[in-house]
Amino acid sequence: MTVLLTLRQLSVALQQKPILSDVNLTLAEGDILGLVGPSGCGKTTLLNTIAGFVEQHKGSISIAPDMVIDANNLIAPEQRNIGMIFQDYALFPHLSVYKNIAFGLNHIDKAEQATRIDTLLSLLKLTDYSERYPHQLSGGQQQRVAIARALAPQPKLLLLDEPFSNIDARLRNELMLELRSLLKKLGITAIFVTHNKDEVFSFADKIAVMHQGRVLQSGTPIDVFHQPSSWLVADFLQIGSWLPVIEGNDECFTAIGNIVKDTIADQRKDNEQQYLLLKPQHIALMPEGEVNVNIEYVRITEHGFHYLLSSLTDDKRLSFEQLSFYSHHVFAQGEKIAIEILPHNYQLFSK
Amino acid sequence: MSSGNKNKRWKFLSWLIALALITPVLVMLFSGIGSSTELFSHLWQTVLPTYISNTIQLAILVVTFSILFGVPAAAIISQTNVMGKKYLRWLLMLPLAMPAYLVAYLYTDLFDYAGPVQRFLRASFDWHSPLDYWFFDIRTLLGAAIMIALVLFPYVYMLVRTAFECQDQHLIRASRSLGYSLTQSFMKVSLPLARPAIAVSASLVLMETLADFATVQYFAVNTLTTAIYDTWLEYGDLSTANAIASILMLLILFTVIAEQRARAGQRHQSNRLNNQIKEKKLSVAQHFFAAGFCWLLVIAGFILPFLLLIMMALDYATLEQLNELLSSGFNSLQVAFYVASITTFIALLLSLFKRLHYSKWRDHPLQISGFGYAIPGTVLAMAMLATLGPIDHWLNGVAKLLDITAPGLILSGSIFAIILALVVRFAAIANGTITSGVEQIPASLDLAPASLGVTLNKSIPKVHLPLLKSSIFVAWLLVFVEAMKELPAVLLLRPFNFETLSTQIYQLISDERLEQGAIGALLIVLFGLIPVVYLNKKESSV
Amino acid sequence: MLKKSLLSKVLFVCFLVPSALIQAAEVNVYSYRQPFLVKPLFDVFTQETGIKVNVVFAKKGMAERLAREGEHSPADILLTTDISRLVELHDNNLLQTVQSEILEQAVPEKFQSKDNTWYALTMRVRNIYSSKRLGNIALNYEDLADPKYKARVCTRSGKHPYNVALVSSMIAEHGEEKTLTWLENLKENLARKPQGSDRGQVQAIHQNLCDLSLGNSYYFGKMLNDEKQKVWANEVNINFPNQANRGAHVNISGVAMAKYAPNSKNALALMEFLVSEKAQQMYAETNMEYPVREGVAVSALVSSWGQFKADELSLETIAKHRKSAIKLLDKAKFDL
Repeated sequence: MTVLLTLRQLSVALQQKPILSDVNLTLAEGDILGLVGPSGCGKTTLLNTIAGFVEQHKGSISIAPDMVIDANNLIAPEQRNIGMIFQDYALFPHLSVYKNIAFGLNHIDKAEQATRIDTLLSLLKLTDYSERYPHQLSGGQQQRVAIARALAPQPKLLLLDEPFSNIDARLRNELMLELRSLLKKLGITAIFVTHNKDEVFSFADKIAVMHQGRVLQSGTPIDVFHQPSSWLVADFLQIGSWLPVIEGNDECFTAIGNIVKDTIADQRKDNEQQYLLLKPQHIALMPEGEVNVNIEYVRITEHGFHYLLSSLTDDKRLSFEQLSFYSHHVFAQGEKIAIEILPHNYQLFSK
Repeated sequence: MSSGNKNKRWKFLSWLIALALITPVLVMLFSGIGSSTELFSHLWQTVLPTYISNTIQLAILVVTFSILFGVPAAAIISQTNVMGKKYLRWLLMLPLAMPAYLVAYLYTDLFDYAGPVQRFLRASFDWHSPLDYWFFDIRTLLGAAIMIALVLFPYVYMLVRTAFECQDQHLIRASRSLGYSLTQSFMKVSLPLARPAIAVSASLVLMETLADFATVQYFAVNTLTTAIYDTWLEYGDLSTANAIASILMLLILFTVIAEQRARAGQRHQSNRLNNQIKEKKLSVAQHFFAAGFCWLLVIAGFILPFLLLIMMALDYATLEQLNELLSSGFNSLQVAFYVASITTFIALLLSLFKRLHYSKWRDHPLQISGFGYAIPGTVLAMAMLATLGPIDHWLNGVAKLLDITAPGLILSGSIFAIILALVVRFAAIANGTITSGVEQIPASLDLAPASLGVTLNKSIPKVHLPLLKSSIFVAWLLVFVEAMKELPAVLLLRPFNFETLSTQIYQLISDERLEQGAIGALLIVLFGLIPVVYLNKKESSV
Repeated sequence: MLKKSLLSKVLFVCFLVPSALIQAAEVNVYSYRQPFLVKPLFDVFTQETGIKVNVVFAKKGMAERLAREGEHSPADILLTTDISRLVELHDNNLLQTVQSEILEQAVPEKFQSKDNTWYALTMRVRNIYSSKRLGNIALNYEDLADPKYKARVCTRSGKHPYNVALVSSMIAEHGEEKTLTWLENLKENLARKPQGSDRGQVQAIHQNLCDLSLGNSYYFGKMLNDEKQKVWANEVNINFPNQANRGAHVNISGVAMAKYAPNSKNALALMEFLVSEKAQQMYAETNMEYPVREGVAVSALVSSWGQFKADELSLETIAKHRKSAIKLLDKAKFDL
């Protein structure tokens, strides 16, 4: 596994305001990295910094084999050999599909250009549209043109800024799979930005979660999903619900039962309110038990019924409002039921 | 919009106004049909071909110069970090306030054989007669073209700069990620994308050029406008004059259509102001050239002529002149005020009609009413007499039948004719400004008041008008200034004892005595500055 | 509300302005003459009679406007700067006959129309101005086409009425063919395209752009009285052409009454005033023109230019050749 991209202590400030601080990341050749985070966290800026549209003022970007970019050696975007696909695709409206794709190929001879474009056109099922103009295409077709245009100069690295946000939900999954298999087939290294966690989980090999200009955690989606490094990561990725916890000597108390302390992963800060990260699969119905939650809200999903539960406890420190719970049992809104926490590797966090 | 207002009075009024504004044009075209072929063929065999070729050359030269001045200026201001950008940005609009004939006169004074420049050259190089050295002759077709372009290029600058600034910056980024430098991206992407804006502004410049009368006359460049004048006034043949005017209008129509064809299917202008433009950082030499270029335009198009005027005014101004200017100044203000108010009102009526009315042809009144912009003032004045004259005669006939005092020429012989002519001519300016304002009102706001039980009659003053406030003001100002500057139509249609600043200055210029009207000229320019400054202020507050 | 107030403004404009014109003691003048030339005369007239004079001035288009307005025209008096206009107005039946002993006696026979429709007020000579560099020389109009003055002649537009009348007189003298040749040769001699005013040509001589120019007599006096233009005028001599043969071409400024003059009484008063000794003297003194009324002396300055012989060609003949003159100017492409 060769490393293609390394970011070291990358910092960016715009108008004296820090946008990125001390970002460290590595990306292996052929991997697809998903950058997630709430809006305004700096993920698009990070993408633009890598592409060269935003100037870094500290740290370095290394692109294998020998390009090192730092504040003293800012390489112009056009010399970085990095492809980019924009949220709005940014197709040139005055050029046909064919000429859009040919735009980045002016350095190579016409014959080679033609073969390359034809290959891309057929790969992306655009052959019939090559003479059309962007405004004559559907959203999905436009995106494919944007992909073809970005891939045509065979960039070392492909950057995608929220590539699926303008596509309606039904088409999105299909396109995501299509694009992923294409990138894999061509062995292209890519970074894409999204605020949708589902996109990351289905599209990326690696994930990096950002918050306020920092990378909170990076790794494979499975690792991050199983071992979120902080409350923010878990919360943004909506890995589970938060259950307030009071620590005892051997046990911890919650509004729906106690948990043994030994198996708790240590992510907490002392002297702050602790929360148990509780995934739906670790909650079970307790048909005989004493009722401890109220059904606040019912939703029907493909995984069965999804309930949001609120606690019935009088202890303010333990009460909660929205606990996600899936079940095949039918309950009515306002019904009171009993649930319990299944034993697992408990993870406690503080905000 | 499927629903919409069905008010019949509104529909009737809109169509009535549109037809009223197009009538003079139609009258002129029809009276051109019966022209004398004998005179026409005489003109055709002698001078007309030269007039036509002069007209076309002038148009091409002015448009070319305006683009050569305006597009680089727009590019420099919008795409680079040029020194003094903050000031140059609005200084470059100032030449709009200068009437071309004024600039022409001032520069001729400056660069003529007897002017200070050549005097200085002769003194320093010991030359004695024109044969001793070569100096460019400003009173030529080329000179006229440069003079006109110097005051018209801001149209190109403004529209193209806005186009650059509203371009989707992702396109530039896309181009750069595909291997093009900032400069290459500008050439390959920004510039082609600005083509519609360039075309629109070029057609504006073209129409203003063809409408020009005083500059070409002062420079003895005979164009079709001259031919129209000659034929009408020297040969006394109105219908042949109308025929020639129709040729001129066809020329204009042709370019307008060609321009619209050229950008059909190229509608891709986004309207948001983009503040993430990546400015090109200039080297010292580039700063020097770019800033120098812009400053040269500002100085040549505004500062220098303005200073010359001030110097003249200081040298020659007397209290007596000021007194005389007071009445013509008041007349100018009066005419400009009425014209601006009426055009703005019509533009509001028609553009809201287009937006809100149910009727099938609702966008036609707006289009029709804007057509007069393509008609030079001279032609329009003739058309106005041809249209209003018969109406006046009819009115007097009716008065006679009813045995009441004949009202006289209440339409063609009063400032009504001037106002109507200018309304016809400048309706398009107000229409354009207000329509773009209307387009920025979200469509949902048309329906929202209805959903709250408020009728359209009440929602227009409560919702649309407040939202259009600044468009209304801008439209009013732009027309006001144009009406202040307008010359040929006013010249021909003045009633008794009625002079405006522009007619007075024109007369002084044609007697080589501008000095005595310098204060008046300054007034016109100062009034012209108001909207430029206002527009700039508004823009910077956005 | 907005609509109503605007409408009322429009109505205000329509009715207030013309009604102001139909007041009692006044007279309406359509003038080809510049306001500053005639205003002093009108001021005296108003002072003497109490009749207000309304003027609309234009260098061009007055006659056309009058024709369009027809019987409802507010115009009473027409002031022209050249004979052709008067005859044209007459031929288009836009003038009315005036019966006035005063006019008949004041204006010599040759300076009024046979049917008493128009009267000349002043005479002006079409002079040739020559640079003092050339010294004192005798010149004919024909000399302007002499190759020895190649690129040394300046003039205003050939289509200007003053030049058109001169060309008409050339046609009367030489016939169309020869006149065309004269025009073509004259064009060859021009230092620059015809442009500007008569004064501008003197300025051009002062600038050494040319040596000869055409210009009316009174401009010389006017320029000598102007601070800036005095410098130009001092560089030239004023010549009365063709003194050895037919005499210098003379044009007139004149007055006529509009056919449908609503204030014909006042109009007549104004006409009679304009030929009065007082008014004629003002023409002579302030406008530096030659008064038509016999016995009124020219100004001291004008008389210092000396006596001259005028072309005796009738004014009607000059007017008759006007259209041919314009066509010849087109044919020679004189202004192009």
